[in-house]
Parts: sequence; structure tokens; C-alpha cells
Amino acid sequence: MKTDSIKRIKLLLVLLLLTSALAACVQKSSNGGETTTEDGKIIVNIGRSVGSNPKLPEGDTFEDNAYTRAAEEELDIEIRNAFEADGEDYSRQVALAISSGDLPDMMIVDREELKDLVDNDLIEDLSDVFEENASDYIKETYASYDNRPLEDATFEDNLMALPGTESLAAPQMVWIREDWLEELDLTIDEEGDRLITLDELEEVAEAFMENDPGDSGNPVGIPFDSYLNGADYGGVFTMNSIAAVFDGQPKKYLIEEDGSVTYGSTSEGTKQGLEVMNEWFDKGIIDPQFGTRSFDDIMSLLTNGQTGIATGPWHIPDWGFSTVREMDNDARFAAYVLADDDGNVNVFEQNTTGRFMVVREGYEHPEKAVQMLNLFYDVMLNKEEADMENKFPEVAEYLEQGVDDSTKPFNIVLLPNQKYLDDYQDIQAVLNEEMTVGEITDSQVRQNINGIIEYMETPEDALTNGWSNYHSRIVGWSLMNKLTEEARFNWVETAYVNNTPTMEQKGANLIKLEEEDFIKIVTGVEPIDYFDTFVDKWKNQGGKEMLDEIEEELAEQE
Amino acid sequence: MIQGNSLSTKIGKFIIYFIVISLGLICLLPLWNIVAISFSSGSAVAANIVGLTPINFSTKAYEMIMEDAQFWRSFFISVQRVVLALALNLILIVLMAYPLSKTKREFKSRNIYMNIIIFAMLFSGGLIPTYIVIKNLNLLDTIWVLVLPGAVPIFSVILIMNFFVGVPKSLEEAAIIDGASPLQILFKVYIPVSLPALATVALFSIVGNWNDFMTGLIYMSQISNYPIMTYIQSLTIDIAELVKSGTSSEALQNIAEVQNRNLNAAKIVVSTIPLLLIYPFLQKYFVTGIVVGSVKE
Repeated sequence: MKTDSIKRIKLLLVLLLLTSALAACVQKSSNGGETTTEDGKIIVNIGRSVGSNPKLPEGDTFEDNAYTRAAEEELDIEIRNAFEADGEDYSRQVALAISSGDLPDMMIVDREELKDLVDNDLIEDLSDVFEENASDYIKETYASYDNRPLEDATFEDNLMALPGTESLAAPQMVWIREDWLEELDLTIDEEGDRLITLDELEEVAEAFMENDPGDSGNPVGIPFDSYLNGADYGGVFTMNSIAAVFDGQPKKYLIEEDGSVTYGSTSEGTKQGLEVMNEWFDKGIIDPQFGTRSFDDIMSLLTNGQTGIATGPWHIPDWGFSTVREMDNDARFAAYVLADDDGNVNVFEQNTTGRFMVVREGYEHPEKAVQMLNLFYDVMLNKEEADMENKFPEVAEYLEQGVDDSTKPFNIVLLPNQKYLDDYQDIQAVLNEEMTVGEITDSQVRQNINGIIEYMETPEDALTNGWSNYHSRIVGWSLMNKLTEEARFNWVETAYVNNTPTMEQKGANLIKLEEEDFIKIVTGVEPIDYFDTFVDKWKNQGGKEMLDEIEEELAEQE
Repeated sequence: MIQGNSLSTKIGKFIIYFIVISLGLICLLPLWNIVAISFSSGSAVAANIVGLTPINFSTKAYEMIMEDAQFWRSFFISVQRVVLALALNLILIVLMAYPLSKTKREFKSRNIYMNIIIFAMLFSGGLIPTYIVIKNLNLLDTIWVLVLPGAVPIFSVILIMNFFVGVPKSLEEAAIIDGASPLQILFKVYIPVSLPALATVALFSIVGNWNDFMTGLIYMSQISNYPIMTYIQSLTIDIAELVKSGTSSEALQNIAEVQNRNLNAAKIVVSTIPLLLIYPFLQKYFVTGIVVGSVKE
């Protein structure tokens, strides 16, 4: 009996030992208090916002890869990750770091977090280090946005963060299956100016529904996602482009000529857009299951050939349409834009500021942040292929393998405003043999162009990747380029401010109200005049206060 | 029991079998659909045409998982975690439940301990205070942070405690007469008759630890330390939400590569296999160790 219980206690001990031995396998990150390494390198602890698909080669990590090694080599620093996380999880880590009072030396934050950090004096003023260290190209890049990103990062004349940028992405396009148009012998754009009217779009949708060129047996006209309007040009399956025909800019705060602020969703143009949508819904041109069909379901409509029309940005072919081509090797898309009666395309000014890089208050080497900015968004960006291979062979290899940008220790995007148009000119120059691929400075474009050429030579055999790149970078960008060259854009001035108190409190409810009421109007549950009721409800439930607060904040910024 | 052979019993049996089998199928079919999706080609899945058989059979999703070093690293972290947590949980649950199952006469301060436990079960410190405690204990980024905060699952303690209370007093008295020490009574009498209850809490512990992603998300600062469910969760991003919030084209493209239903289905299948394997082993304990017949009143 006694030996038995001893045995059991032994067993317990063995189990405990075993478990501690197992536990030793998980490594622990080091974040001691030291600021320089033994060999005198400056330590930089960075909060890393990483992607979920880094495609890092074997052995490399977010903390130790070609980019971090290049930065360590060039700037005499050692990069350590205070934390790594993705998307929402990253925001949680930032919140935990702020509330536990243990900020990393540098991290990326959004507008809200930046304001919090400034209000609580937790971050370093970067005005002087930016002025002294930033390269001319970096300053020019900001200047291409009229320095608006820098202004967004400036509080009481002090530059408190290094802002990222968002390149021009207007307009919202209408993607239509070109092979179906040819099969049905439809010409919708007789002038060849790639501008179409609502009637022309209606005609195409009707023809697609009647003839079912996808042989699906159950064709659907134009699918829309239930949120109906995007707040930027990235929205897919939205009615932004339809409202834009009537100069309605839903979900945008617009600055009127007298300086007052209005909300685009409550404008007359949006009402007219909804009227068209309602008409189309009655005629059956809009997906009868609109409102209940999820994003994935709409994607499957496209993939199995039930529909061949999609509204959205230039880059849907890159990540969305590829399954269409995998199912149907002959599938091709054409991109058009909906224009108003005068042939103009009404577009809103987009938010030009991305996320912000901040430096902890009291960090001894804030200049390293600016130097990293120079390295990644000037030196590495502006190198031709041969130079790159020469100077940063490891990085050149990364670019070839398509390693994700989030492996850069400093992952804010900082590109000139007209970036896509410049890239388009480069591609055209190569296609016209005025330039060689190696001379293109943007590595991404260099990667894409071979696939594009392959697709243009043998469309049937080309990989889907080439197909996608051809559609986004030739079909999509050429439309943007053409509209810019012909000055078709009619820009609407918009306001971008931090969340105001009312927005924080009531914003989500107002968006919900808007989306639900719009669905009711489109599907005919409520008549079009209900729109006026919606506008009243919106104003009374906090919209009015929101607009006042935005006006106030704009006045403060002046 | 007497088996009838009349027509009505046959019909009754048929109806019962029919109901049981259809309920079984209702549970099984969604899982089977996931398996079929995981073996189909990406475009077939995107076209929503996969039902119960894979379409354009492809093992590409599994190949991608096999090549993903982090997936396996996380997988083994989770295995370690489950082993550690299971051992710790069972030891601590039993050692805690046994004294608490005694009456107040035998264990004077029982009610004080009981109140403390129940208080701790109902109220917790909240996310940020807990985070700070764990940070100051230097547990961040160690495997212990996955195990220690949940080392004593109060709910299971109460479950086992109540089970111990229900064990007939005469069993313990008989052991005392035979000269057994309290530890011997626990291991020789209580544990053998409580195997079904212990198997249940073991299952809770295994499933709970295997499926928990939140702990890893909060306390692990490096992705290389993520347990499997946290890793899978970090890969599972709703692309529709990203589109709405205006993500860059490159990021969307990158995510679309790993973020398709085909690959997600394969991840679900791979990460469910360990749990499926454990069930049959635990099942035998659910039928043995029953107290019925051990005492004759």
C-alpha cells in the first residue's frame, strides 16, 4: 500500500519535470532595459504591424530578415520586436502597450491612437529630426499631396509622427465581362472613350440576363453588397459610382463652397442614385437577393458565370477576379466608368494620409526613424534592378519572391500621389520598347510586367497571375490615366477629421440607420420619398451635431 | 428487458432509428462538407458548387499547410500546452476538490475557501490588470502564460467536488477501517469511482485549451509563439471587411492567397484531427467506474 502512494507521488514529480522540460522549448523574447548592444549598436524596439502571409524564406523571421538586416547594416542599429501582430490584434497590442505604460521605441498607430498619444505627451516631437534628416525625395513625396499628410501629423506646429500616404485611386469603375460583350455582339461604348451612361449599363445587364452567356441557367444582373456604399475608392459591389453620376457622394463629408460641411448620403444626388437603383431592382436588373447575399456569395456569382458585372476599384482583378479566370480560361474584363450627362466623372477627394509612425517620448535616437524612412521609401524605391542587386542583393531576392512588405521594420506606405499613373507610363514605355524592364525603378512593377507581356503574347496559356496583372495594370490603370489626361475628373472637396465625440458615440448607429434605410428604398419596401424621412432621422439622431463638430474642427485647423 | 416482435414495435423501432440517424447526419454533413471543400480546387469553392464530394480534386490546400513552418510550430506549441494544462488541471482539481468535498465538521474552514473560490469564479480582474500582473511575473511569451492562468478551472473543481460528495460514505469508512491514509483513500477509492467525472473534466480541459485563441493573442507578442488556434485565427480575416475599410491592393492580394475558404477548410480539418483522435480514448471511461453496486444498503 505504502509503496503505491510513493509511486504515485513519484509519477506526479516525473510529470511535472516532463512538463517543465517541454516548456523550455518555447523561446522568450528579450526586452531588457539596455539601449545599445555590446558592440555599440543602437537598439530599436519596434511594435510591428505584420501581415498574415509574409512569404518569408525559410529561417527568416519578422525580426531578422533581409529588410531588417539591411537597415541594421546601413543605420548601425539592432532591430528588436517589442510585439508582432496583425490587424485588430495589432491595435489591441498597441492599447495594451499604452495602458501598461511600456511603449516600444517606435510603432505604427492610427489617427485616434496618435491623438491619444499626443494628448498624453507620450511621444517625441519629430519636427527637427525630420527637417534635418529627411531626404529631398521624401519631402517631395509629401509635397505631391500638398503636404496634407504632414499637416495631419502636426499638432500645435509640432510634427508628432511620420505619416504614411494613400496614392490616388479614383475612380470607382464598372468591370464588365468583355468576352460576353463580344459573344453577344454588344457595343456599349460607341465613342470608345470608355465612359458609359446608366442606360448603357442597363442595356448590358439586360442582355446578359436574357442571353445567359455564362450558361449558368440562373443569370443575375448586377450584384451589390448590402453595405451599398464604401467610404473610399476600395469598396466593391457598391453604388458609389451610380450616385456619382448625379454628383452624390454617399458616406463622405463634403465641404460646400461657403465652407459649411454636408453629408453626402443625405444629398439630392444620392437620392437620385437610389431612385435608379430602385427602378433597376423593379426591373430585375439588380440581384433580386440583394441585401441577403454575402460578399462570398457575390464572388461565387461571378466565378460560376451567373453575372459579369461588378463595380469597384482598379485592383479587383488582382485578388477577386482570379477565380473567374480559373473557371473560365477565356474570361476577360473591360473597365468602364459611369459619367454624367456632360461626360464628366464626379469623384471625391480621397484621404491622402495613411497610418503614422511614432517615436516614444524620451527615446534617444528619433533620427533613426527618419533615416529608416529614407532607406525604404527613397533609396530602395528608386533603384534600378542592377543597382538593387548590387547594393541590396538579399532585398532584390525578396522582391523577386514577392515577400510581403510587412516584413519591413518600417511598414508605412509612402508613395507619390500619382504613383499608379507613373507606373503605368513605365509599363507603356517598356511595351513600346522605349525602356528595358531593368530600368523600371519600382520593383513591384518590374515583377508584374513579365506576366503582363506573357499574357499579351499568349492569352490562353498565360498564368492567372499575368491575367490579373494585365487587367489591373493595363485595363484599370489605362482608364485612370486616360481620365486624368483628358481632365474628365470633377473633384469634390471632402473633409477628413478625427472621430468627433458624437461620431464616437452615435456614428455606428447612424451608419446602420443609413444602410438599412437604403436597402429598404432600393428593394421598394419604402417609397423613394422615404429618403427625406431618412435625412430627418439622420440629422435628429446626431448627424447635425456631427456636422457642426466637423466644421468646428476644420475651423481649428485653419 | 423483453423484446417484442409485433409489427408495432418494429415500426416504433424504425421510427426511432430514422430519427436518430437523421439527427446524426445533420451533425455530420456540415463537417463532411468542410472536408469536401478542403479537397476541392480553389475556384470550385469560390463558385459555391462543392457539396458532399470534392470537385476538381486537389490537395493543394494541404500542401500549402505542410509547407507552412509556422503552422507546425504552432501545432506543437498547442500539443505542449494541452499536455501541460491537462496534467496540471487534473492534479490541482483533484487535490482541491477532495478536501472541499468534506463536511464542515471534518474541515473547519471549508466554507471560507469555498466562498473565496466562488468569488474568484464570478469576478475577475479584467483584461488590462491581468495583463499587467502577467507582465510583471515575466510570463509573457512563455508557454506558462497559456497554462498557469487557467491552471485551476473552478467550474471543474465544483463539478468534481460534488461528485466526491455523492460517493457513498461507507466506501471511505471501509478504507479507513482497512488502515488507509487520506491520500490512499483519495487515490484508491475516490479517483477510481470518479473516472467518468474526471474524464469529463479532462475533456473540458483538452478541448478548452486546444480551442482557446484569446490567451495566445493577448499574451504572445511574437507570432512564432502563437498556439495553433491563435495562428489560425490570425490567418482568418474577413476579406469583405478589409475591402470595406480600404486596404491596399498589395495587402488584399497577399491575403487573398492564404485567405480562401478552401485553405481555411483544410486548416479546420487538420486542427480538428487531434481532438477527434482523443474522443475514443476517453469514451471508455464514460461507461466504467460507476458506483452502482459497490455498496449494499
